[in-house]
Amino acid sequence: MKVSFPHMGCVTGYKRLMEKLGHEVIMPQRPSQRTMELGVKYSPEFICFPFKVMMGTYIECAEAGAEMIVTSGGCGPCRAGMYPDVHQKVLEELGYSTKVVVFDNMFKDFKAFYHKVLEVTNGKNIADILQIAVFTYKLIKRMDTLEKKMKIQRAYEIHSGDYNRAWNKIVKMFEKCETAHDIKAAYDKANAMFDAIPRKKVEEKDRIRVGIVGEIYVIMERTVNKNVEEILNGLGVEVENVQYISDWVEHNIVPQWLPFPKSHRICKKSDEVAPLNCGGHDKENMGWVFDFAERGFDGVVHLMPFACLPELVNLGKFPTISERLNLPVLSLSLDEQMGEAHVKTRLEAFTDLCRSKHMAKQRPIENHEQGIGHGEEPREKANVPGRAEMTGARI
Amino acid sequence: MRIGIPRALLFQYYYPLWRSLFEHLGFEVVLSDKSTKSLVQKGIAVTVPEICLPIKIYNAHVINLIEKGVDYIFCPRFVHIEKGYWFCPKYIGLPELAEMTIPEAKLLVAEVDCRREDTAKLKCFLPVAKKLGVTKGQMKAALGAAAADFAYFRKLCKMGLTLDEAASVLFEGKKAEDFALPEFDTTIGLLGYVYNVYDPFISMDIIKKLRALKVNVITFDMLTEEELHRYRKTNTRDIFWTFADKLYQAAHVMIADKKVNGLIHITAFGCGPDSVVGKEIEHDFAGSGVPFMTLRIDEHTGENHLQTRIEAFTDMIKRKIRKCG
Repeated sequence: MKVSFPHMGCVTGYKRLMEKLGHEVIMPQRPSQRTMELGVKYSPEFICFPFKVMMGTYIECAEAGAEMIVTSGGCGPCRAGMYPDVHQKVLEELGYSTKVVVFDNMFKDFKAFYHKVLEVTNGKNIADILQIAVFTYKLIKRMDTLEKKMKIQRAYEIHSGDYNRAWNKIVKMFEKCETAHDIKAAYDKANAMFDAIPRKKVEEKDRIRVGIVGEIYVIMERTVNKNVEEILNGLGVEVENVQYISDWVEHNIVPQWLPFPKSHRICKKSDEVAPLNCGGHDKENMGWVFDFAERGFDGVVHLMPFACLPELVNLGKFPTISERLNLPVLSLSLDEQMGEAHVKTRLEAFTDLCRSKHMAKQRPIENHEQGIGHGEEPREKANVPGRAEMTGARI
Repeated sequence: MRIGIPRALLFQYYYPLWRSLFEHLGFEVVLSDKSTKSLVQKGIAVTVPEICLPIKIYNAHVINLIEKGVDYIFCPRFVHIEKGYWFCPKYIGLPELAEMTIPEAKLLVAEVDCRREDTAKLKCFLPVAKKLGVTKGQMKAALGAAAADFAYFRKLCKMGLTLDEAASVLFEGKKAEDFALPEFDTTIGLLGYVYNVYDPFISMDIIKKLRALKVNVITFDMLTEEELHRYRKTNTRDIFWTFADKLYQAAHVMIADKKVNGLIHITAFGCGPDSVVGKEIEHDFAGSGVPFMTLRIDEHTGENHLQTRIEAFTDMIKRKIRKCG
C-alpha cells in the first residue's frame, strides 16, 4: 500500500519503518510555502498552526497518490487528539479517498491499538514486527543523539554550513541502513565526520546556552519554526531542544511511575506551578524551564503555535516564572504570517541580552578574585535590567 | 467571611450550586459586577494578549472582586465531570494562571475531578473545606443541599427557561410561569458555551435580540442528558471536551429531533475547542439543509454588527419558511 505520514523533524525513522513493513512510501515534502497555503486554505480558521501545515502535507501526499496516512492521536484535552478526524473529513470534502490511520495511546484502548497495528503491518507476524520496531527505535535514537550533538557543536563551526552538509550526508547514510550493525557503523562514521569539522575553541565560561521548549511539532519541524536552532547556532549559541522523536516514544511507552526516561523526572519539577498537565507538553516544558535554570542556562526560547491551548497556559505563567528564576524567556507564537526576518531579529536581540547577562554574571567573580569583591547584592542588581527588559519583550 | 464568585466562565451554569453551597455553610456570597466594557478592559490590560477572550474576562472579574474587598475568590479547577471527557486546558491551569496574572488574588480552589454533572462530590470540595475551616460533615451536608438546589435549577432549564431565568426562579422568588413565551413559527438553535451565550459583553444579549425578532431560541442547556447522549454512538471520533461535546450533540438533536430552522454558533475569538467543533458541525450536518452561521466575538466586536447579522439570518430563514413551507 502507498503510505505516507506527516513531516515532523527528521523523518528517516518513519520512512525506514514503513519500508520494512513492506509498504511503498510516498515521502512527504518538507513543508513549503505552498504546503502552508494549501493547509491554511482548507483548514478551519482558528485551528492551531500544526494542523494547517499537516493538512497541507496530507493534501500534497494525497495528490502524489498516498492511500494511507499514518499519524498519532491523543485523548485530550489538547486539540491534537481531534486532528485526524478533522483531517479525514477535509480530505473527504476535497474528494480524496486517502485514509488517515490514527495510533492512540495503547494503554487507553489496547484492542483498537492492536487492530490499527494489524492494519498497517501488512500481515507480518509478531516476531517480525517487534524486530522492526526495535530496529526503528535504535535508528531514531542514534540519529537523535547525533542531532543533539550537532546543535551544540554547530555553534562553533569555523566554516558556516559544514555541519549542515555533514548532516545531509548522515541522513542519506542512515536511510540505507538495513541491520542493527549498519546503524552502529553509520553512527560511528557520523561521529567521526562531526569531530573532523574544524571548530573554534571556546572556554567553558564563555559558552552561551539556550534551551528550546514548546509545542512538539513546531519545535521539531524547522521549516515551521523558521530555523530557530540554526539561527541561534549561527549567533554562536549552543541549543538544547527538549523534544526528539525517540524521547517522545520513550515518554509514551515507559509507564509514568518509573524514574526514566528523564522527561518523567522533569515533569515533577514543575509540580508547584503546574500541579496538573493541561494536555500537551506544558507541564513537561515548565519542568524543563526549571531544569534549564538549575543547570545555569542563559535563556529559554519558547515556541508555540498561535493560540495553542496548553502552551497558552504556560505563556500566561512565564512572566512570573522568568522573574522568579532570573532566566530570560522569549516566547514566539508561530503561524502562517510569521516571517524569517522577524524571528531572526527577535533572536538576535535575545541573544545579545543573554550574552550581556552572561558576562555580567562573570564580572563580579573576577572582581572578587582581585580583592574588590562586591558580594551578592551588586551581582543581583547587575542582572535586573536584563530581566526587566526580557519580561517586557516577551510578546 | 465574604466569598467572591467571578461572573465568568462556567458561572452561569454552576452559580446555583456554588451560591447554595456557601450559603448553607454560613458564608456571605459576593458576585462580581456584570461584564461591561470598562470592567473587561481591566482584565485585558493584565492578561497575555493571545489568550481567548473568556479568560481575559475571567481575570477582569477577579480584579473586580478584589476591588470589592472579598476574603476569598472561588476558583474551581475543572478537569473531569465525566469519564473520558475533559475540560479545555485553560480550565485545568486556571487557578495558577489567575494567581500568576493577579498576584493579589487569594483563591479558593476546588479540584473538580469526578463523574458527576453537578460536581457535588466531597472529594472535590475538601481543599475548600480545609481552607475555610469547615468540617467534613458540614461540607457534606451543604453539598447535599446544594446538589438538590442544582437539580431543581436544571429541571427549570429543561422546561425551556434560560439559565438567568432559572436562577432568578431559584433565588429571587420568581415563578417559572412568569417567563412563558409565545410560540413563534421559527426556531433557532443557539450553540455556544454558557459564558458566550449569557455574558452580556460577549453575546450582547443575543437571546433577547432573537426573541424580539419573533424566534424561539433553544440552547444546549435546555436539553436533557438523555437527548445529549442519544447520538453519541454515531460519532466518528469522540469529542473529548465536556462542553464542546454537549454543543455537538445538541446540534445533532436540534437538527434531527427538534426540527430547528437554523443554527447559530456563537464563539469567542481564539477558542480552541470551537475551532474543531465548528468544523465538525459544519461538515457532519451539511446535508441536513439547516442553515448554519458562526458568530465570532472579540473585544472589538460592535453591537450593530451582531444585530445586522442575526437580522439577515432570521430574515433568510423566515423567507425560506414562507416560500418552501
